[in-house]
Amino acid sequence: MSQRPARKLRTWSRFGQIRRVPSEYEIVTHDTNYTTRQGRHPALESNPTTPVNMWFLTYRDYSPLSAQDWHGFRDPDELTYRKYVTMQDEQETVVEGFLDEFGKVNHDANLSLQWLQMLATVFTPMRFPAHALQMTQAYLGQIAPSSYITNCAAFAAADLLRQVSLVAYRTRQLQMAHPDVGFATGERQIWETHPDWQPTRRAVETALIAYDWGECLTAVNLVLRPMLSEILLRQLGIVADENRDQLTWLLLSNLAIDAERNARWSAALARYAISKRPENAVVLRHWVQHWTPKADEAAAGLATMLSELPEIGREADTTITAAKAARERVLSDAGILTAIV
Amino acid sequence: MARMKREEWYNIARDVDWTRSYVDEEAVFPEWLSGSGKVPREAWRSWDEPYKCAYSDYVATQREKEGSVYAVKAALQRSNIFESLDEGWKSTAKVHFGAVSLIEYLAVLAEQRMGRFGLSPAWRNMAVFGALDEIRHTQMDLYLAHEFIAKDPQFDWALKNYHTNCWCAIVGRATFDGMMMNPNVVDIAIQLPFTFETGFTNLQFVALAADALDSGDVNFANMISSTQTDEARHAQQGGPTLEILMQHDPKRAQWMIDKTFWASARLFSLLTGPGMDYYTPLEHRRQSYKEFMEEWIVAEFLRLIEDYGLKKPWYWQEFLAGLETWHHSLHLGVWFWRQTVWMNPQGGVSKAERAWLQKKYPHWEEQWGPIWDTLIQNINAGNMEGTLPETLPWLCNLCHLPIGTAASPNNLRYPVRSYPLTHNGYTYHFCSRPCRQIWWEDKDMLHQKTIIEHLLAGEIQPPDVGGILAWMGLTPEIMGGDAYKYKWAEEYREPAPVAGAEGGSHA
Repeated sequence: MSQRPARKLRTWSRFGQIRRVPSEYEIVTHDTNYTTRQGRHPALESNPTTPVNMWFLTYRDYSPLSAQDWHGFRDPDELTYRKYVTMQDEQETVVEGFLDEFGKVNHDANLSLQWLQMLATVFTPMRFPAHALQMTQAYLGQIAPSSYITNCAAFAAADLLRQVSLVAYRTRQLQMAHPDVGFATGERQIWETHPDWQPTRRAVETALIAYDWGECLTAVNLVLRPMLSEILLRQLGIVADENRDQLTWLLLSNLAIDAERNARWSAALARYAISKRPENAVVLRHWVQHWTPKADEAAAGLATMLSELPEIGREADTTITAAKAARERVLSDAGILTAIV
Repeated sequence: MARMKREEWYNIARDVDWTRSYVDEEAVFPEWLSGSGKVPREAWRSWDEPYKCAYSDYVATQREKEGSVYAVKAALQRSNIFESLDEGWKSTAKVHFGAVSLIEYLAVLAEQRMGRFGLSPAWRNMAVFGALDEIRHTQMDLYLAHEFIAKDPQFDWALKNYHTNCWCAIVGRATFDGMMMNPNVVDIAIQLPFTFETGFTNLQFVALAADALDSGDVNFANMISSTQTDEARHAQQGGPTLEILMQHDPKRAQWMIDKTFWASARLFSLLTGPGMDYYTPLEHRRQSYKEFMEEWIVAEFLRLIEDYGLKKPWYWQEFLAGLETWHHSLHLGVWFWRQTVWMNPQGGVSKAERAWLQKKYPHWEEQWGPIWDTLIQNINAGNMEGTLPETLPWLCNLCHLPIGTAASPNNLRYPVRSYPLTHNGYTYHFCSRPCRQIWWEDKDMLHQKTIIEHLLAGEIQPPDVGGILAWMGLTPEIMGGDAYKYKWAEEYREPAPVAGAEGGSHA
């Protein structure tokens, strides 16, 4: 050990040898999860064989997705709590503006029955898969190997609660305008039994038990959510616009901003994992290959509904192609596309 | 079409459960994580948070709160408030930052656990906000503490403490890992939001905010007052969970509350007691720790548990008696072992302060006076070795606090002694009967070595104070000293009253 007096500290010693001034984002995000501390034995200050200590070992510390130092990962959006609530309050104000403007012209009263049935079959049942995805992000946060990742997942879970809330709000509005279409009462049955929803339900239910943190990240953030968001937010938005429901189009476009932010950090994290340990590419590809067929089946079911239910439907192949392209963008951004095509 | 009120649509956002059919329910909600126990699955449908909050309300309110906290901080950034703060108060702030910041973050993980494995969608939604709140608290604490690092490296321990094996970190990890991380989500909800956040955080946040304001630390006061407004919301996840548990398994509820209250009380006697009764400058003390506990914790807690049909914990008299003693013993220990902490404890035993202590605690002089007199005598004789330890105290196998700190010298009812328990041929030691009983019930979870046991196992080398300090991660520029460099002892030089020569340098 050096006998020289320690240099005057200017920032957290937990940064180690840092040669620059850390950002506010880094100061408040760095290494705040002590269960990932170095030299831990075990993660929790309790019997090393408690179920939760074993859980951390199995699904986090011994995950096939491994790196020496996960604290080097940075969220490309550098979200802090303050930045998140400020940004999302602004987005909620935008959404309120949409709702107010369309409310004034009595938008919902002018929707066709066929379109209303489309909304009741695809749009309003969306709160169920969104809630399931919210649960996966709550899981990913608690099992992630760095606070930099946990925070991203916490904001992602909140984004999905935002989606659930906005869909719920619209569900009630539509129900009030059209009490006989099944809004607010029929969605659960549609989600549980409609044949075109079942592949999506199967995919998210299975994703809920992808307990390895790396597999959860891959299954949901790199494969499933990019595809589901492309269809349920972007493609459904386009269909809504074409069927003269500009309100749904605007709201979904706004929610898509959250999904894109989620894809950004998820891809950046995969990229980081590969940069720290090239073998991680193999691990990620393995999971991508495992989850892609499930996501493709989900996409096909949803694409069928977008094609068949509205007056002006969207070619199923167009939707499926868009969903695959969305997935490939994320995987390409993550640096793991080449091996699976 | 006017904007709808929240209550018109809110239930739809909570109506998001469905029957899973592609995977086993037990795989999605494993019993050891979801913890339904004797509660039938359908009972969780009635889970109803008393304080409704929509996403848009959340971000709007929180943005505003963040704005005001950071505006105050920005306004004060160029002031020289830090330099004018009392050293004793700074120690209180350092204790808070080091002991609390990363526990706030542990609560992020606990909230996420409830957000995933809670058996009601309404609960899972609330936990999403809970996790955000706890990120907020971590980030406010760290942002504020970070600003002082260049002026005082002890503030580095706001982030570092829980990454070390400092005894305080082990105490905190043992307590909070047991409360927030090891249990299933039902037990977490009873222990964390209900017992700890509803029952105890008032102590840290309300009392400390008042002390901070009186000590001139406006930033700190502002930050923790703002923190407490969040606690009030997310702590309410405990109530609905407890209501359901009381209908189906009241015995379990009582046990979870009893043991958490005890562990919290032990911890706060270390975390907050010395700050209130010793570090805060005398002229700024509004209430003693005991008075504050009686008003804010004891009365509130009893009202709270009686509302739910629960009984007082079995150890109630022992806990009340502890309000007279625990934190005085712990303060003495922290001051004596001051090299093992990341702040400079203020002795707090000048003549005027002792008079205040004696007034608030009629047995103070009888129980602690002689020990402090010996220490003072050693200080004034220049015998500093006589004011410092040569080894460690024996630690409780449950709370990891020193044996003897749930007691006091010259106390016949709760004397300084160990409460041992031999199990599988090994003798464990506890500071009190409740710690021993809790350990016995939860021994599968809590069975982890104390520092003393690490030392005896040869894991700490060399096995002396220097080796122990290095193992704990304490470096010379961090190790605590007396906040006032012993100036307070000068007034005792003449005449020099010396009573009972025992104590002082004994471990």
